[in-house]
Amino acid sequence: MTVSLYLNHKTWVHRLDGRTKTLTVMGFFVLALCFSHPVYLLGVLALVSGGLAVAQAGVNVKKIWVLAALLVCYSMMLWPFFVEGKTPVPLFHVVGVTWEGCLFGLGMGLRLLIMMWGGVWLLSTTTIEELAQASQRLGLPSRVGFAFSLAFRWVGILLGAGVGVIQAQRSRGLDLSSGTIVERIRKYVPLVVPLIGHALRQTNLLAMALESKGFHPTARRTFLTPQSMKRDDYAMLGVVMLLLGVSAWLRWYGHGILEVRF
Amino acid sequence: MNALYASYDPRGWWADLAGVWKDTRLIVVTAQIAAIYAAILIPFKAGIPIIPGFVELRPANAIPIVASLLFGPAAAWGAGIGNIIGDCFGTLGPASVFGFLGNFLFGYLPYLMWGHLGWLSSGQPPMVQSWRQGLEYGLVCVVASGVCAGIIAWGVELLGLLPFIVLAPAIFFNNIVMGLLLGPPLLGFLYPRVQRWHLRYEDIRPSVVPLIDSGFSLKMASIKNGVLSDSTELRATLPLLDCRDLSFYYSTHTHPALQNISFSIQSREMVMLLGRSGSSKSTLCYVCNGLIPHMIPGRFSGALQLCGEDTRANPVWKRADRVGLVFQDFETQLIGTTVGAELLHPLEYREPPFALQEIQRRMAHALSSVGLEPCLDRDPMMMSGGQRQRLVMASVLVQEPQLLILDEPSSDLDPASRTQLRQTLRQLRDAGMSLMMTEQDHDDLQLADRVILLDEGRLVWEGSPDMLLRHPNMMRQRGIRPLALTECFEEFGCDPLPLSVEEAWACAEELHLMIEPPADVLDDTVRLGVRASSLDGQSEPVIQLDGVWFRYEERPVLQDINCAIYSGEFLALLGANGSGKSTLARLLNGLLAPAEGRILIDGLDTRATSMSELAKRVGLVFQNPDHQIFADTVWEEVAFSAKNLGCSPGEIAIRVRESLQAVGLPVEENGALDPFSLRKGERQRVAVASILATRPAVLIFDEPTTGLDAQETDRMMAMVRELNRQGHTIVMITHSMRLVAEYAQRCLLLKAGQVVADGSPRDIFHDAALIQTASLEIPLLSQFSQRWGHTLLTVNEVKASLKPKLA
Repeated sequence: MTVSLYLNHKTWVHRLDGRTKTLTVMGFFVLALCFSHPVYLLGVLALVSGGLAVAQAGVNVKKIWVLAALLVCYSMMLWPFFVEGKTPVPLFHVVGVTWEGCLFGLGMGLRLLIMMWGGVWLLSTTTIEELAQASQRLGLPSRVGFAFSLAFRWVGILLGAGVGVIQAQRSRGLDLSSGTIVERIRKYVPLVVPLIGHALRQTNLLAMALESKGFHPTARRTFLTPQSMKRDDYAMLGVVMLLLGVSAWLRWYGHGILEVRF
Repeated sequence: MNALYASYDPRGWWADLAGVWKDTRLIVVTAQIAAIYAAILIPFKAGIPIIPGFVELRPANAIPIVASLLFGPAAAWGAGIGNIIGDCFGTLGPASVFGFLGNFLFGYLPYLMWGHLGWLSSGQPPMVQSWRQGLEYGLVCVVASGVCAGIIAWGVELLGLLPFIVLAPAIFFNNIVMGLLLGPPLLGFLYPRVQRWHLRYEDIRPSVVPLIDSGFSLKMASIKNGVLSDSTELRATLPLLDCRDLSFYYSTHTHPALQNISFSIQSREMVMLLGRSGSSKSTLCYVCNGLIPHMIPGRFSGALQLCGEDTRANPVWKRADRVGLVFQDFETQLIGTTVGAELLHPLEYREPPFALQEIQRRMAHALSSVGLEPCLDRDPMMMSGGQRQRLVMASVLVQEPQLLILDEPSSDLDPASRTQLRQTLRQLRDAGMSLMMTEQDHDDLQLADRVILLDEGRLVWEGSPDMLLRHPNMMRQRGIRPLALTECFEEFGCDPLPLSVEEAWACAEELHLMIEPPADVLDDTVRLGVRASSLDGQSEPVIQLDGVWFRYEERPVLQDINCAIYSGEFLALLGANGSGKSTLARLLNGLLAPAEGRILIDGLDTRATSMSELAKRVGLVFQNPDHQIFADTVWEEVAFSAKNLGCSPGEIAIRVRESLQAVGLPVEENGALDPFSLRKGERQRVAVASILATRPAVLIFDEPTTGLDAQETDRMMAMVRELNRQGHTIVMITHSMRLVAEYAQRCLLLKAGQVVADGSPRDIFHDAALIQTASLEIPLLSQFSQRWGHTLLTVNEVKASLKPKLA
């Protein structure tokens, strides 16, 4: 079973170095954290949306659309009750809801959306191997990157096995939708135990297979298809730096911030 | 007190955490916990939302605590990474940093705390079997859940995403409910098994595992740099692999796995290791590439040299350029997300590194060796089983080893993929590589230059494949099925016995024999023991398929299937890998619903009938019994199905007894055994018994003999036939044409999701063009008999039909 969000397109974004894409998405996150006013955050969202369009990653945005909408709604609905502003909202002022609080909630919802879409932008254009390579070049130990890519690969295997386990137990009459909450939770034991057992029994085998193929944990991984920074990468990072600079300047002069108290 | 917890030293906490990254096995455990956490996090939802879409009751939240108490710091890293992987499905962002930290501590604190809570500690292993253990577990659970919830909620509020006061209680509630309800039973099941598999943290910590016994260091002193002789000429005359008087005892066993084995392999030689299950073929493979004793502890004596170097002298990874191993479970070896990544990975750890051109040459060469040139950018998970196996071979071949070892490479392949594999192996040998292969059956024997027969860890025979195949009695004695053609001519005193269809024809010619089947052969009485024709017209359809279509992601998997399955018949579902057999089996018991058309079981439409109702009528025995076994004892495992149907305790006891009796595992001797301690063939029987406990009229077997040796296969098939005789309708998916020829009354042949033939095995095997288009093979016996215009299916049929030629 394939579980990755990666889309095998040949866009300009796909061709960028893994480090560029990782640093760019971090730049998106910092931009989102710079502001709390929805208008400014809409600008950042437009930027991220443009990135998604160039990367042809709309299909992945559709996949998480419901989840994104739910989270944005929560943020919008919850924050007004927990922050204080100056202008009360008629009918809701008794519970402390203000217009500034509502705007703040909207802003935080947009911030959440920017972060989610930024993550989707990175994962849609970067393979797990590229991410591991980029993370090593950005200072993360290679073994951690390797464990991450190995785990990612195993998620696919276990999801496939999980489907088999669910089918096998349903074939034996297991009905997960009936019973009290406690009974329903306990019914997961016949699903989870075979799955964990399946994975753990492969542990020794996988470790042996890795060493048989030349892997050893103390060695530094030498990437044999090195990612290399090209002109487009420097241009992209330059644009990100510029945007961060402009944002820092705006923030310094108090733009894009809502006056609310927690 | 448990050694792990007694040895805990708070001063060494960082060394403990960092030590995980210095051992391959602990890195694998870390990755697996991360994968388990993410894999359970994604599909398993208890369906009870706390904050819908954001925090729901999910069984995965019990995993960090349970894993922590089993695997220590590896669980901490695994939980943190697993959470990030979960975020990679749409919620990756700065909050993932706090998610990592929170889950890391969720998976670390239980390990730190257990046994270190002063008088509150139970002083016992981490399970919940006494109130003191329960108290300790509860405290551990509360603290770990609270810290995890606090850190994540604090971080998320810091980023301005959601208020702490809303999120923290939701995460805490989720963690604590799952930890308290699901954690204790999971620990109860997993702790004893993980202990038995020697996978607890205390068992696999690098400092604890005694990989090579103490006597070895003395022997090592006499080996300079691992090479016994520096003389180039002498090494040139040495065999590629030389094994002398080798014995090995697993550290957990008192009886030897290998006893006084001596053999050698020359360059460009293909050697086949043959033997029944448990004859230690795999163990010998592990010895040959040094996994024993480097990664598998035990007592080792004798000597094994590869290219003149003692395999004990250097770690396994240093030998990857000389010997490659393709494991039986080849899926486990795949680690890349593309074919290219899979091939690159082994080359990225070479010291000194290769030049780019050399990499490209090796990758291209390995891919062309296995015929996967056009697949460089493909996802291995989207390839067929045969292609995946060849990819694993390619990932070993990029190291350009001199010796390639394959452990039962064809056990999961369909006939077409097997043919392709044979061709690949021949090409590799012709290109100068030495090969060592293990098999349980004789199917690929004629590929080999030499055969080594193992039995109970001893080398009992060595010689040419022809010599072995022409001695069916010796094969039987060693648990290997003789070639059907030789069995047919055994009683005629034919010398030498035939090994091929052409030789059999010549033999028949020489003995003045011809095929003239009597009536009881043609009406299947000889083959099946009953007259198949006696069933015709008397039975009712139990399953009816009308215009059934099934699609997966818009791709049609089954197209317009129309057929009926009749009460009491033995039906074989045939077809190449990916032809839709398994999908059809899952439609037949209601696990999947047709996209179009309908399936009626006893007149009930599968789309409108509950799964538990269908389970009473149609039972599906999955290929891998381990996908369903979870209980502590065989009795509980079999009783699970009856309990699900709401049977009374008395009724459950009756059904368990009957079901175990039917599969040849009487409850008195087997009921109390741990199913995981049984051999695969026996676990498969437990799986069958657990289905029988629902008393279904129809039993569907999905490749029930995969991975079983000749004797286990015979036992399994005798049981299936007996169930059929007792009145169960049998539907069996298999790649073994021999089983079809021997047991099936009727065959449905699928190709690309369509039924291309429906008839008796005799009719199906009569049509050579049909068999070829479906990528199957006609059994040799049928090919032999077709010279006389008859398609015979079994040895008994041929024996009954061989008659002297009329003058």
